[in-house]
Amino acid sequence: MFHGKPHESEISMADTITTTSPLKLLMSMIMTGFLVMSHSVFAKQDSKIGESRASHCYVDGLSEHLDCGFITVPEDRAKPNGKQIDIHYVVLPAIKNSAHSEAFLAIAGGPGQSAIDNAAGFSRMFSKIRQKRDILLIDQRGTGRSNVLNCEGEGFEGALSINEADFDVAKETQACLDKLDADVTQYGSLSALEDFEAVRQHLGYQKLHLYGISYGTRMAQLYMRQYPQVLSTVTIDGVVPMQQSVLAIGNAINRGFELLIQDCDENKLCGAQFPHLEEDLYKVDAELALQPAIRQVNDPLTGESTRLTMTRSKFMGAIRMALYMPNVRALLPHAISEAAKGNFQPIMGLYALTIDSTGIAMGMHASIVCGEDWQRLTQAERDAANQTYFGQEMITNFEKSCAIWNMPAVDPSFSAPISSDIPTLALSGQIDPATPPSWGELAMEKLTNAKHFIAPYATHGVANQSCGNDLIAQLVDSGSLEGLDKSCLDKDVRRNFYLNASTVEAIPSTEAAVQGASND
Amino acid sequence: MMSNMMTMLRKELIDAARDKRSVMAGLYYAIGTPLLMCGMFMLLIGQMSSPEDLNIKIENGERAPDLVKYLSSQGITHGDDQDKSLDVKDIRLIFSDDYAAQMAKGLSAEVTLVADNSNEKLQNSIRRLEKNLQTYSAEMGSLRLIARGIDPRVVQPIKVNVEDQATPDSKGGVILGVATMTMIYAVFISGMNLAIDTSAGERERNSLALLLSHPVSTRNIVLAKVLAVTVFAMLGLLLTLIISKLSYSFVPWQELGFTVSISTNFILLMLLIGLPIAIMAASLQLFVSFMAKTFKEAQSYLTLVLIVPMMLSMAASYNIAPDTLQWLPVSGQQQALIAFIKGREIPMLQLLLSSLTTLVIALGLTFGMERSLKSEKIVFGL
Repeated sequence: MFHGKPHESEISMADTITTTSPLKLLMSMIMTGFLVMSHSVFAKQDSKIGESRASHCYVDGLSEHLDCGFITVPEDRAKPNGKQIDIHYVVLPAIKNSAHSEAFLAIAGGPGQSAIDNAAGFSRMFSKIRQKRDILLIDQRGTGRSNVLNCEGEGFEGALSINEADFDVAKETQACLDKLDADVTQYGSLSALEDFEAVRQHLGYQKLHLYGISYGTRMAQLYMRQYPQVLSTVTIDGVVPMQQSVLAIGNAINRGFELLIQDCDENKLCGAQFPHLEEDLYKVDAELALQPAIRQVNDPLTGESTRLTMTRSKFMGAIRMALYMPNVRALLPHAISEAAKGNFQPIMGLYALTIDSTGIAMGMHASIVCGEDWQRLTQAERDAANQTYFGQEMITNFEKSCAIWNMPAVDPSFSAPISSDIPTLALSGQIDPATPPSWGELAMEKLTNAKHFIAPYATHGVANQSCGNDLIAQLVDSGSLEGLDKSCLDKDVRRNFYLNASTVEAIPSTEAAVQGASND
Repeated sequence: MMSNMMTMLRKELIDAARDKRSVMAGLYYAIGTPLLMCGMFMLLIGQMSSPEDLNIKIENGERAPDLVKYLSSQGITHGDDQDKSLDVKDIRLIFSDDYAAQMAKGLSAEVTLVADNSNEKLQNSIRRLEKNLQTYSAEMGSLRLIARGIDPRVVQPIKVNVEDQATPDSKGGVILGVATMTMIYAVFISGMNLAIDTSAGERERNSLALLLSHPVSTRNIVLAKVLAVTVFAMLGLLLTLIISKLSYSFVPWQELGFTVSISTNFILLMLLIGLPIAIMAASLQLFVSFMAKTFKEAQSYLTLVLIVPMMLSMAASYNIAPDTLQWLPVSGQQQALIAFIKGREIPMLQLLLSSLTTLVIALGLTFGMERSLKSEKIVFGL
């Protein structure tokens, strides 16, 4: 589901970025793994809110006046007089300003994404809810404007030319830690939850409706465990169940790859155009695993001639990230097939998308993963993860970075399933390359008043791709799961795959002949 | 003197209350107008919003199955003309026969949109269709660039950040501006019948001469009449405000992206500002009515005279007035009210000056009336 900006623009290109990048930010990927350091290097510069007055501001992508503010909390709650940090929030005020006793709190993913940076996306997605209720966005500690823990390395402008294998994860992690002015052990989910609750009290909301996407579902579940009395309804979208370490994502990513190949095979046009997709994928993967392909290319952004070191990491990473977005995913069969012919142009284009737009604060990301996911990984899970390329990369990298980050492990009770009777809607996308429907099922274990809907054609983040947002609006409005009808999620919204670099429609026969000839 | 006048006022009010026609005329307007306005707004909002499922006529859709599917995921589908149960909008989308061929070559594929853009009921649906086509085109454009190894951001050289200084209240101000016009008008309408009845009417019933023959000063009689009409006008205004406050909350303003609500502060300000206008309206209406020979004649004169304040008020609410109008009665006050609604600073100087002018006019008219009532020509309608 793509919405352009509300204003009419003469040239459609004005919408170009909005159709891809905010969505991507909203994808709220679980970035865990090899991307940790290579991405931290290019992490986005924190953009400050343009605060005109103490309580009024504008955020990127929304033209209207919003209410902004912050509360000051001790970084370490055990030391109330120690270092203080500001937790920033933005309220998108309800259109119909009735009583402000309830708010809809949307929690971003990552871990490490800023909820405020995604305000435009949330506002668009939940416009129905906003008609009657405030939407509350909080930059979780360590992200966005709340003492962001970014890791910005130096001297890595040439993202295209580096070989990730030469990357010294331990050294970069140490350099990042040294630069951060923070006690990184205080940036776990539980401390952040106290901040959320403090913001709620500060703003005087009696009840909250929660929406968590991706990692945000963990925060939502913790909220259910710690403060059930203040919650009216909960929606978890792209579920990370408490019982699950996110480091098991390797299998989910593999599943995403397999579903892509299957989808293309089953599609008449795609299957005919790319009959050897699976072989192509594994052929390129195997070749790049042996040695990277070196190409002289034009930089996607500057157009300057530059060297591209196409590594396995770039190739697989670009495909993985494209799997998050249904529209970009459609380009993958063409991109893989071109790569098999030695043309890495489309893959480079996809990779360029991932370079600096994930908006993830990698320091905060590490605090979460190292404290809550790394240490609970059993030997069996570790072995299982090592079976997949992505799992293996993550294990190797977190082994090094978590040793330096030195997070104390959370209590084992942290991983217990949530038991609750709060009306809870769990949403999973069938082709989600991060949090598969089985994870959503796991979260349901002890929820007594919950429904789990699986959207057959959605990737990560069902609310953004289907009628999921309408279902949430209905849940928030009625306060109960009764009458929620999942049939609208089953509407076939699948789009065609790209058959060449230009079209998604069947190529007319003469064209097909030319195409076939040029391919030979 | 004071008690004398109070007695007169009581007499006028009792007279007025007995005259059902005067009371009802005021009530009709005060209750009817806000309700009518609400109904109109509701109808307008319903017509302006594009239906959830938009049915249009798609021709040769088989040439672009992906785009047709995309539109359908956005709630825009092909509706059959024959099926009467469907509300098929008169919008046609025609795909050219070389659509797929052009697309495959990386060129622009042609789609023709046929619709009447001057039809208000279609405008939103047309815009929605155009927006979706643009989004689809932009998305494909981005992916074509990506497929060629180019970052799509390069074709968006300028990113315009709009910081709209409107507040949720000021967005609704446009609507409330029109509403204040009807409220100010309530002041004029509510007391009109009474004004005619107590002047031209009283003369027709031959009770005016009788009244004047009592040992009461003409000034007191005139003042009592002005006050009585003012009281009626203010009651009409108060009623209009209360009905508006209640009924406006039923209009689904939020579908327009803002809200319109009538706050208690607004009501108080409106009453305060409305008072001088009511006094002027009363004296104006009485003055004109005394000039007329009969009840009927007074009615037709007044209808003409009332166009003036209405024009002033309209000019202010539609913002088509030259700046000098800000200093005139009625429009000056109304602009202050609009400023208040929009959360801006109230232009005090203008408000004071226009209120003062209003009172001066009222005073002048009252004085004129007092003098004219000394003439037999007026008293007996000769």
